[in-house]
Amino acid sequence: MSNKMNVEGMMMLEQPFLRVPYENYRKAFRTSQRNVEKDLGAVNAMATDVSKRVTIENAEPADTVNAIDTMIARVEALKRKLSDLQETTGKPAVNVLRERVNHVAAMEGIQSSNSPEFDRWTDTRFDRWLVDWFLRNGKEKSARHLAQEKHIEPLVDIDLFMDIRRIEDALSHQSCTEALAWCSENKTALRKIKSTLEFELRLQEYIELARARRSMEAIAYSKKYLVSWHETHLDQIHKAIALLAFPPTTTCGPYKRLYDPSRWSNLIRSFRLAIYTLNTLPTEPLLHLALYAGLASLKLPACFDHATKNTDCPVCDGGSSEGLGLGKLAAEVPFSHHVNSTIVCAITGRIMDADNMPMAFPNGYVYSREVLEDMAAKNRGMVTCPRTGETCQFAALRKVYIS
Amino acid sequence: MDALLKEIDKIEKIASSSSSKGKAPSMIESLDSLLQTLRNTKAQCEAGEVPVSQIMQLPSAVEKCKKDVDDRHKEIYSSLARFGKTLDKKFTNPLPTYSDLFSSKDSVNALERTIALHFLRTGQFDLAETFLQESDATIPPEIRSQFVGLHEILKALRNHDITPALEWVQQKRTFLRERSSPLEFNLHRSQYIRLLLASHPPNVLPAIVYLNKSLRPFYPDHVTEFRRLCGCIAYLPLSRLQESPYADLASPNLHFDLEPLFAKEYCASLGMSRQLPLRVVGDIGGGGALARIEKGRKVMRERKSEWSQTDELPIEISLQPENRYHSIFACPVSKEQSSEQNPPMMMTCGHVISKDSLQKLNKPGGRVKCPYCPTESLVSAALRVYF
Ligand SMILES: [Zn+2]
Ligand SMILES: [Zn+2]
Repeated sequence: MSNKMNVEGMMMLEQPFLRVPYENYRKAFRTSQRNVEKDLGAVNAMATDVSKRVTIENAEPADTVNAIDTMIARVEALKRKLSDLQETTGKPAVNVLRERVNHVAAMEGIQSSNSPEFDRWTDTRFDRWLVDWFLRNGKEKSARHLAQEKHIEPLVDIDLFMDIRRIEDALSHQSCTEALAWCSENKTALRKIKSTLEFELRLQEYIELARARRSMEAIAYSKKYLVSWHETHLDQIHKAIALLAFPPTTTCGPYKRLYDPSRWSNLIRSFRLAIYTLNTLPTEPLLHLALYAGLASLKLPACFDHATKNTDCPVCDGGSSEGLGLGKLAAEVPFSHHVNSTIVCAITGRIMDADNMPMAFPNGYVYSREVLEDMAAKNRGMVTCPRTGETCQFAALRKVYIS
Repeated sequence: MDALLKEIDKIEKIASSSSSKGKAPSMIESLDSLLQTLRNTKAQCEAGEVPVSQIMQLPSAVEKCKKDVDDRHKEIYSSLARFGKTLDKKFTNPLPTYSDLFSSKDSVNALERTIALHFLRTGQFDLAETFLQESDATIPPEIRSQFVGLHEILKALRNHDITPALEWVQQKRTFLRERSSPLEFNLHRSQYIRLLLASHPPNVLPAIVYLNKSLRPFYPDHVTEFRRLCGCIAYLPLSRLQESPYADLASPNLHFDLEPLFAKEYCASLGMSRQLPLRVVGDIGGGGALARIEKGRKVMRERKSEWSQTDELPIEISLQPENRYHSIFACPVSKEQSSEQNPPMMMTCGHVISKDSLQKLNKPGGRVKCPYCPTESLVSAALRVYF
C-alpha cells in the first residue's frame, strides 16, 4: 500500500468543522438583516408621518424637531447594533471560518501520509476530536485546558457547546425557559426541519401546571400556547386538556405517562437532537466515529483468543480477554473483512512474503525464514518454536506457500 | 478551498464598516449619510425655518438608505449562498449515525481510561490531571509514576544526557538482550559521536577512550557498526564527515531517534504496545476507513443484497504493514477466513488451503490434487498450520 493520502475519505469527518462557523455567520447575518428591516421600516413610517404633518397639518416646528430627533436616535441605535453585531459575532465568525478553511486546505496540500506535516495535522485533528468529546461529555475544564495548551481555540466549538450545556442544565432543573428562548431565536430553522421541540416544551410547562393543580392557569396556558398546534398535534392537545381531570397520582396509562418525570430527560434528548441538526453536528462525537471505523478495520477473532493476542495490537488490549480500554469498545463494532491472506511472523511481527518465506515446524507452527535462519546460525543449525518449545534442525522445516 | 476563501474575502470586505474603496457605500456609510440629512433638516427647523420640501423628501431618503443597505446584504447573501453550495458539493455524504455507540457505563469507563493513559504516555501530565478530576477513571499511581519516569529520561535524552537512560538499561539488560534490542549500543554510539564532534580542532582522544570503555563490549554483536565507528575518525571534522561514506553518523537523527526507540523499549518492558493505541485506531478510522465503510454499506444497500454477516464489515479495509498485528488466512479456494472449525491445512506440496476446501477436493481413495500445483497427495497427510 502506498503512502498516498485518502483526502476524500479524510474530508468526510471535516463537515461539521466547516459548517458550524458557516451557520454561525449566517445567524449573525440574519440578525443584522432583521434589525435593518425593523428599524429602517420604523424610521420610514416616521418620515412619512412627519412629511404629512408638515404639509397637511402644519405642525409646530418644535414637534417636527422632536420627530426628527426620534428618527435620529433610531438610526443611531441601528448603526450601533450593526457595528456591535459585526464586531462581536460577524467578524469572529468570519475569522474562525477563514482559519478553518485554511486548516482543511493545508491538509489537502500535504503530499504524503509519511511526512511530518501530515503527523502534525493529524495531531491537531486528534486534539480537536478530544475537545469535541470532552464538550459533549460535560468535561469543560479538560476541553478548555487542551484547547488553550494547543492553541486550537478557533478550531473547536467551545461556545456552542457551552450554550448547549446551559440550556440542558436548565432542562434538567425542570426549566423550559432557556430552551423556549432558543426555540424562538431559531423559529424558522426549526420549522424547516419540522422540529416539534417547541410544542413538547410548551406541553411540559402545561403538565407542570396540571401537576401543581393550577387548573385555571393551565387552561389559560393551553389556549395561549397549545391550541395553535392543533393541525399537527390535535390528539396530544385533547389528551392534555383531559389531564386536568386526573391527579398526578393517577394510574391511568396515558395520563400517568404525561406526568412521568422522565419526560424531562426526553426533552433534553429532543433539544440536543434539534440543536445538533441545526448546527449540522453529528449525533455521535467525532472521536466515536473515527474509533468505530478504526477498530472495525483492525478487529479479528484472533484479538479475543489468549493464544493469538499481540500486545502491539490496539484491539487485543493487554492480557485480559474482556479488555479494559479499546478492546472493550471493540466489542461494539463489527469484525474486519478479508479476502486476502496476510501472514505475520509471530516473532518479528513482520509480514512474510516471497522474500521472507514462511517456514513450518513439523508440528505446524510457522515463522519467518529470516528469524529462523538467525536462530539456526546462533544454535548450530537447531531451531526452537517459542510457542511450543519444539526443537528441530533448520533443514527439517518446510516451506509454506500461501497463494 | 480557494473558492471558499474567495467568498470569505468578499464577505469580509462588504461587512466591514470602514472600507469604501469600492463603488458602493458600506452599510455604516449609508446610515451616516441618512443621519447627515436628518441632522441637517433638524438644524434648519431649529433655526426657525421649516424646510418643507426637504422634509417631503425624507421618506425617499430613508428608502434610498434602506435600498443601499439591502444591496450590501444581498451581496453578502449571495456570497454565503455560493459558499454553502461549495460546501454541499464538497460534502456529498452526511456523517453516519451509530445510535448509542460506546455509551454504556462500561464503554465510557473504558474510553476515559484509554484517554487518561494516552495523556500520561504522551507526557501531558497536567492535562491528565485536569481530565482525571473530571472523569471517573482511576489510574493506579504506579502506572503514573512509570510514565513520569519515562518522560524524565526522554527529557534528559533531549538535553543530550544519556545517563538516566543507561541506568534504566542496566536494570533491564536481560529483557533487552532477549529482544536483541539495539538500544544500549545506540545510546553509547550517540555519546561517542558527540564526543568526537565536540572539540575544535578535533581532539579524538576522549572519544577513543569512550569507545574502548563503553562500545568494545558490543563488538561481537555489532562488528560492522563498530568498525565504522572507528573508521569515521579519519574523516573529521564534521564538514568532511558529512561528505564521507560515514555521513549517516553525522546526521542529527542518530541522536533524535533515541527518544522513540527508548520509549518503545520502555513500554515493551511494561507490556505495552509499541505505538499509541488510541492514535493508531483514530488515525486509521479518520484516514479514510470510515468513508470506505460507509461507501461499502451504501453499495450493499443499493444492490439490495443485505450483508448477511452483520458482525463483519462488508468490505476489506487495507492497512499499512505496521498496522498488521495478526496473521490472516483467507482460503484461496473458498475465499473464507480460517477459523478454529475451519483451520488452514498445508498439503505435502506446501500449499495451504482451508480444511473445508480440502474436504471438498477429496477424491476417492482419500487423495487430493492441489489446485495450485499438480501434486497429488493424501488428505490425511495434510498438516494443520499455526501462523
Ligand atoms: Zn488484535
Ligand atoms: Zn501445491
